[in-house]
Amino acid sequence: MFKSNIILLLIIFLIQIGPINSYSVEPDEILKNEKQEQRARIISKNVRCMICQNQSIDESDAELAKDLRILIRNKVEEGLSNKEIYNYLTERYGDFILLKPALKINTIVLWFLPFVLLLIGAFFIYRHNKKSKTSH
Amino acid sequence: MRKIFFILPITLFLVLGIFFYLLVIDRNPSEIPTALMNKNVPKFEVDELFDNKKFVSINEFGNEIVLVNFFASWCKPCRDEHAFIENFSKKDGIRVIGVNYKDKSSSAIAWLNEVGNPYSNVVLDKKGKLAIDWGVYGIPETFIIDSNGVIKYRHVGPITEKVYKKINIIIKNNK
Repeated sequence: MFKSNIILLLIIFLIQIGPINSYSVEPDEILKNEKQEQRARIISKNVRCMICQNQSIDESDAELAKDLRILIRNKVEEGLSNKEIYNYLTERYGDFILLKPALKINTIVLWFLPFVLLLIGAFFIYRHNKKSKTSH
Repeated sequence: MRKIFFILPITLFLVLGIFFYLLVIDRNPSEIPTALMNKNVPKFEVDELFDNKKFVSINEFGNEIVLVNFFASWCKPCRDEHAFIENFSKKDGIRVIGVNYKDKSSSAIAWLNEVGNPYSNVVLDKKGKLAIDWGVYGIPETFIIDSNGVIKYRHVGPITEKVYKKINIIIKNNK
């Protein structure tokens, strides 16, 4: 009984982490060159849909998302690098269009605060354990 | 020493809470500041709706204050803000330019005939390319450009009484 429960839990867990392919790229958008299409897909996954905000343009059905997907594909075909394409977008829409915020002076707290808090927490647990050991 | 285990986490939590509150207080996601703020208007050359000529941006901006309004005949909120756009067009020292976004020319002309045309020029953005260059993501959107051709303000969504007053102050300050 216990074993079958474990197996069931494992199956549920594996279903969760399996690849979920939900995307909105339409057939007419896909580039013939597979490598270029792959690159465009990766870029699109990192670009925020400004209308839906918590989706990437790769997943969004919004019209602007489609326009941006096509624009990115055009830029890939023109031979622009990923960085140049991201720059093109942030020049117009700001850093907000990137789902992953860039590492800049004003985002340092955002990036490193969790690690600082983790260290502070670890320090206190260490101190606490040490104390309780000596008191025993 | 024991006390610190209680006080420190609570203090830290409060400090962080205040920090994040201050961080988000003036950041309404629906009012994302434009990346083009205090930058020159993008350069572009597009067709006009009424005149059979090209609209060349470098010849049109930088002489006076310009209000650029992205609109479409299919856009309901554009109708709601129309009276305010008309008010701006009646003011001295300000030029109002319309960008007709992803619209049929015949529909746009019919719509402007019906509600009135407040624009000195209506330029066409059939594929939404110009809108991307301006960082537009929701129609209607309105920009204020000063007499040096620099973008001073952007509003996403229809102009309301409150926004109308705000834009008037911005125009006054940039004269």
